Formats: sequence, C-alpha cells, structure tokens
Amino acid sequence: MRALHTAATGMMAQELNVQVISNNIANLRTTGYKRQQTHFLDLLYQHLRRAGSATSDQGTQLPSGISIGSGVKAASTIRAMAQGNLTSTERDYDVAIRGEGFFRIRMPDGRTAYTRDGSFDLDSQGQLVTRDGYLVEPGITVPQTAKSVTLTAAGQVQAMIPGQTTPQDLGQIQLARFVNKTGLESMGDNLFLETAASGPAIDGNPGAEGFGNLQQSYLEEANVNAVTELSSLIAAQRAYEMNAKVVTAADQMLSSSTQMMRG
Amino acid sequence: MENAALIGLSRQIALGRELDVIANNMANVSTNGYKARQSRFKEFLMPGASAAAFRQPDRGLSFVAETGTALDPSPGAIERTGNPLDAAIKGDGFFVVQTPAGERYTRNGAFTLNAQGQLVTSDGHTVMGESGPIAFSPQETGIEIGADGTVSTTQGQRGKLRLVRFADPQTLRNEGSNVFSSTAPAQAAGTAAQVQAGAIERSNVKPVIEMSRLIDVNRSYTTISTMLTRMDELRRTALSRLSDQNA
Repeated sequence: MRALHTAATGMMAQELNVQVISNNIANLRTTGYKRQQTHFLDLLYQHLRRAGSATSDQGTQLPSGISIGSGVKAASTIRAMAQGNLTSTERDYDVAIRGEGFFRIRMPDGRTAYTRDGSFDLDSQGQLVTRDGYLVEPGITVPQTAKSVTLTAAGQVQAMIPGQTTPQDLGQIQLARFVNKTGLESMGDNLFLETAASGPAIDGNPGAEGFGNLQQSYLEEANVNAVTELSSLIAAQRAYEMNAKVVTAADQMLSSSTQMMRG
Repeated sequence: MENAALIGLSRQIALGRELDVIANNMANVSTNGYKARQSRFKEFLMPGASAAAFRQPDRGLSFVAETGTALDPSPGAIERTGNPLDAAIKGDGFFVVQTPAGERYTRNGAFTLNAQGQLVTSDGHTVMGESGPIAFSPQETGIEIGADGTVSTTQGQRGKLRLVRFADPQTLRNEGSNVFSSTAPAQAAGTAAQVQAGAIERSNVKPVIEMSRLIDVNRSYTTISTMLTRMDELRRTALSRLSDQNA
C-alpha cells in the first residue's frame, strides 16, 4: 500500500514545519532576525489512466484520468525579509536600518558577512565592531577622546573632539544589497553570506537610491509575529496527527487482510 | 461462490487506491496551491454465463472499477504573508511557469527572485508575464503586484503576470512540484481571475472530509475482509460436512 509511504512524507514535512516554526519562536527577541517559512511541493504522480484518451471509435474521451500522487516534499524554508519594528535603546552604537540593505561585517577568516543586527560596540582600539568583536566594514575608528558620537541617516559618523569647535568626520558606514536577498545563506550569529542565488553584493551609502537609511540608538526587532507562529504551530501539529491517522488506517487495512488467512 | 470473493477483492483493490489518494491529499495539507483529488468509481457489470431459463435467472455480477481521480478546483484559503512577491489568485486562473519540459500552470504564488533578478517559483522556474519573463534591475525597490497582475516598481511598470484558465479543469494533469500540464489549450483568464499580492493560496484539502473518508475506507475494507473470512469458513464447513458423509 502506497498510502503508508505517502503519509510518512506528510509526517516528515510537518515535522520540518514544526522545526522552522519553533526556530522562529525561539528567535522572537533576536535583533534583526528574519522569520522563515516552509514551502511544500507535491511529489511525482503516477498516471494510471490519462484524461483525454479515447474511449471509443466515436471520439469519446475520458473526462478525468487516474492520477495517484506520492506525497509531499519541502521546497524551501524561505526568509521573509520584511522590516522588523525599531525599538529605542538609547545606546550610541546601536544602529537600525530602515529599508533595504545589510551591514557589511569582516569575519576573522577574511570573508565578508552581512547582517541587519546593528548592535555595535567599540573594541580596545576604538574600532566599531559587532557584539562578537568582528569589524564593521568599512572600518570606523573612534578616538578615545571623542565625545557625543553621532551617526546620520546617510551613514556619516561624526564625533566632537575636545578643543575643536566643529564635529570631526570619522567615516562613512556603507550598506550592501542583493538582487535576491532571500537567497542569502544564514550562518548563525545573525549573519548572512552571499551565495550564487543571492547574486553579488551591491554596495552603496545609506539613503542612496534603493538603500534604506540608518537610525542611531535604535535596533531592529525580529519580524516574527508570535500569534501567527503559534497558530501555524497548531495547524502543523494537527496536520502531523492526521497523517499519523492515515498510517494507522493503512495498517489496520493491511492487518485485516493478513488475518483473513487462518490456519 | 468464487464470485463473491472476487467481487469483494475488486472493492478492496479500489479502496486501497482510494486510500492512496486520501493519503496524498493529507500529505499535501500545507502545500501552497494544491488541489485535492477524489476517487471516482463505477459499477463494472460482468455478463458472465447466465441461464435465463430458470425461474430465477442468474443475475449479472457487478464489480467495482475505478474511473478516475477528479480534481477539486475549489479555491484554497488565502493567507496573508506580507512578502511582496507572494501572489494569490482570486477566481478562475493559473500562473504560467516556464519549465525545461515546457509551459506549466500553477496556483502556487510563492515567488522569489533569482540571481538575475527574474521572478521565479521556489523551484527556480521563471514565472511568465504577458511578454516573457519578468525581470528587475538591481537598483529597483518597492516591487508591487496589482490586482490585474501588473508588476511595477519605483522605476515603473515591469510587466504583467500572464493568467490563464481552462474550460474544463479535469483536463489538468498533475506534474508534481505544484504544477499542472494540460491537454486542452489555455485561454486568457481576463477578468475571471484577480491577483492578490502579499498573500498565498493554501491547499484546498479539507481535513475533516478527508478524515471521514478515511474512516469510511478503513471500515469498508475491514468489513469486506470479514466477509471474505466468513466465506472461507462457509466453504471449509461445507467441505468437512460433505466429506463426513459415507459414500
């Protein structure tokens, strides 16, 4: 009976669905987290009778054929890259992006990673780094004596240096964007990597055409909606149970056939 | 007496097939744009040897035969996702997708972009517009899909999604991966279909109906199994009784 295997694919699909949903819920409070959604595709079909094949010499045709599907598979766990809410933190080095774009981060192994998490800090040399201590590209160094560091919407970093009357330019934060940002590969720690599917990074200043602008002292919350996730969780759980029932029914039918033969 | 067993068997084979169809519907309960299928059966009259000369003539034997699995074209629930590239069809229509095997039709509107900026399905097949694939340049933002399928960005209109419909949805053939092919020619959907952006059409499988059908299939199958067992007992008893008689 094919039904056993078909229902098993359904159960595996729902298991994956629950995994993705629970990861979303776990990251409800992760800065810059983008929620994932599982998409499913139906598997191959066996066509036992083809619709439209002739049933007589008179040209009559079969109105509908017999097509038996073999279950379901997961197509993608696509990220919804929608903007998350901005929340005020009152910290100087927290930056949120309003609109398109990612911060560029230099990884210790030399690769460039991308993130929407702008909770930055200074390291011992006064360089702007992420919470993990990775450099923000292009590098910005804040002098030790600097006071009241400001970051404009266009990404310019300025600070007041004692003894000077005008603020000093410390550098320009750049953003990167992608043709297909859902094609980015997540590497954990709120970081993404460029892939063949995402296309190459396009660099630009915040506020330029196609790029979002920056907001100092704010962080972007996860774009997870707890109510939506919980209702999807319930739906996934029930769907899992119903597929399990199909397995039970197929088993009962098989066992009734087996019991027909008695010594 | 053999006939009863064979007729019962024909029903069991049909029920086994029906269970496969239900299992596939249940497995695809969260597949975007999936359309449920339902088994259809017919009575298959076997003329057989009949002797109408008796006072009670032999009756024809009616076996069960499967005629087809009918597609349920009813719309699935439309769920808002907030992803601007997602599109659901309200009404009678299908999106056109270009696959290596040719044009295919789908109601699954979970679209994304590929590295070339083209609108593609989650399988990577290009979604067709009225005039070829729909592509965006890297600088474009604010992709919007209008109710008539018009795709526009901040830089203006980029194309219009091609929507087609079929006079008879039963001519559609499942090709897997949420796409259909059709033996009948596709017609332009016109005003019959409208596009809702930022939403996805979910599966139209109704779990309650599938579950009740599942119970029905399960019970019918086990009932026939019991009947076949009884028949077996009947024959066994008859044989032992007859063999007990002294010749």
